[in-house]
Amino acid sequence: MTTSADMTPTDSALPPPRSQTGVRGWVRENLFGSPLDSALTLVVGAVLVAAAWFGLGWVFFDADWRVISTIGGRFVIGNYNSDQVCPGNDCFWRPQASLLMVSALLGMAWGVAGAGVVRRIAILIAVVAALFAFLPYDFERMGMDVRLLLLANPVMLVAGWAIARYTRLGTPKWVAILSVVAFFLTLLLLLGLPGVPGLQPVDVRNWGGLTLNLVLAVSGIVLSLPVGVALALGRRSHLPVLKAVCVVFIEVFRGVPLITLLFMSQHLVPLAFPETFPRNSLLNAGIVITLFSSAYMAENVRGGLQALNPGQIEAARALGLPAWQTTLFITLPQAIRNVIPAIVGQFIGLFKDTSLVYIIGMLDIVEVGKTFVVGNTEYQQDAQEMFVFVALVFWVFTYGMSYVSRKVERHLGVGER
Amino acid sequence: MVTTPEEREEVEDIIICRDVHKWYGDFHVLRGITTTIKKREVVVVFGPSGSGKSTFIRTINRLEEHQRGDIVVDGIELTDDVRNIDAIRRDVGMVFQSFNLFPHLSVMSNITLAPIKVRHMPSDEAEDVAMSLLERVGIPEQADKYPSELSGGQQQRVAIARALAMRPNIMLFDEPTSALDPEMIKEVLDVMQELATSGMTMVVVSHEMGFAREVSDRMMMFDEGLIVEEGPPEQIFEDPQSDRTKLFLSQIL
Repeated sequence: MTTSADMTPTDSALPPPRSQTGVRGWVRENLFGSPLDSALTLVVGAVLVAAAWFGLGWVFFDADWRVISTIGGRFVIGNYNSDQVCPGNDCFWRPQASLLMVSALLGMAWGVAGAGVVRRIAILIAVVAALFAFLPYDFERMGMDVRLLLLANPVMLVAGWAIARYTRLGTPKWVAILSVVAFFLTLLLLLGLPGVPGLQPVDVRNWGGLTLNLVLAVSGIVLSLPVGVALALGRRSHLPVLKAVCVVFIEVFRGVPLITLLFMSQHLVPLAFPETFPRNSLLNAGIVITLFSSAYMAENVRGGLQALNPGQIEAARALGLPAWQTTLFITLPQAIRNVIPAIVGQFIGLFKDTSLVYIIGMLDIVEVGKTFVVGNTEYQQDAQEMFVFVALVFWVFTYGMSYVSRKVERHLGVGER
Repeated sequence: MVTTPEEREEVEDIIICRDVHKWYGDFHVLRGITTTIKKREVVVVFGPSGSGKSTFIRTINRLEEHQRGDIVVDGIELTDDVRNIDAIRRDVGMVFQSFNLFPHLSVMSNITLAPIKVRHMPSDEAEDVAMSLLERVGIPEQADKYPSELSGGQQQRVAIARALAMRPNIMLFDEPTSALDPEMIKEVLDVMQELATSGMTMVVVSHEMGFAREVSDRMMMFDEGLIVEEGPPEQIFEDPQSDRTKLFLSQIL
């Protein structure tokens, strides 16, 4: 037997004591550590069991989910495919084509980024698209053409991946450029172009669904970050007029509810423009959501700038970097990195807020479901099921954003360096 | 005719300060600094805290603005003209007490950023320069790490390499070893000593008296915004003229 006397100094580095002895040890230590702990564990456990019992019971036995499959594709694109919107039903390739573009871009992003979070999302989208192609609808409601277009998504994904891997387009710059192009092509495809055969205009009030939420959210997210950064820098500027303009903008847009701004965009903004100025609810809503979000974004970014050690700016200036380069390469990257959680929170809020466009007569995914349930007496008692489903869709997307942000934070070493 | 370094020293006054004053609000922090630093000279500035020594070297690259008097650095007078300030900052390197490395950039990018963006150096050339500087300060193997992964002494040596990458004519050191653990002070001082031997003009705010005695050409004692005494280290240590210097040295030695 070894005693401490005949141990060399290196031997004396003992392994840490085993504080946990298996599952039972963990349970005893963490769930029943004291009488109060035990009582709390029992109460919370009882509540959870009850919630699971009634919740799962409702999901599997009481709920009637047929309302979801009846609404079906309308959740995704609204009434785009209906006869009165698109006579002859030959418009449906348009949203499908933009989905194919998104798949190809995701494939390219995967090819550029390699293994990791992008690959996981890309594969998930491909699998979901393929699964939808095999939904047990009859062919009258979901034709062979639609199913084939859906199945083309995994193909486009692989094609995009191959393009990124084996051609000179496989750089982040090209993916960014093509993404912007694809965004505007999507808008063009969905809205149509007067006078072009096959692209007859479709009024934005006749389509919607999740696509509308996503179009508004993507444009709002992509634009509100740069606008917010500009506002934050302006608010910290030494030029009094610029500073005042930014402060007033931020405080006004933060101080008014989004729903009010949306309403005003429809009914007050046109008063400021000549009669001939094109009126487009989608554009109005996109601008208002972007500006609203930018005001919050500006304050997030300003917080990040405020928290920065002034020594960083001194070091950059002492190296001879002019002020704009110091901002671009030193302060902004650090400030934004430090407030990623707040920025992502803002993005999630923005995505959920897109459903407020119902106030100006647009049919987002919530409104599609609501008008269907309200308008069809046989489905009126299924409102609960419909809302639970829509909530789940929102949750999947917002959780995805939160997941990506955690990965990005780890990649950038936030809180570590 | 070839001029020897000794001859050049006599003609080139690289930093000239004439009656420099600075106020922080009502506080008169610099109360008339007049001094001339020659090319290749190593000057150690010391004195009690609050005496204005850090403020003084920060006025040399205009991190602090002086409000009265003239400062001429490398033949360029420091005025409000932004082009002058940027030109001087390119030629004057600075090392800070708290290192101030850029935490979001690798060691390599910390060093190459300014040469690429300010001097428009091609990035492969900048990386070669950075590698040779990292070898000079003794840590070439740390190039791909991030500052937070380095010890304090290593971070300060990266900061010195970062300043040197701009090929400055003057190096300013603002208490470069004050934030370091004792066993790391020497590795930084060794780098500074090598730099001094190579002929760099250096102004060092420091209380490392061993370094001052061994390396510096001149020492400046600051108190209450004035240079109360300056002279070669032998004079300061063996035969200080001012009572204030005597008292201060007796407190720190």
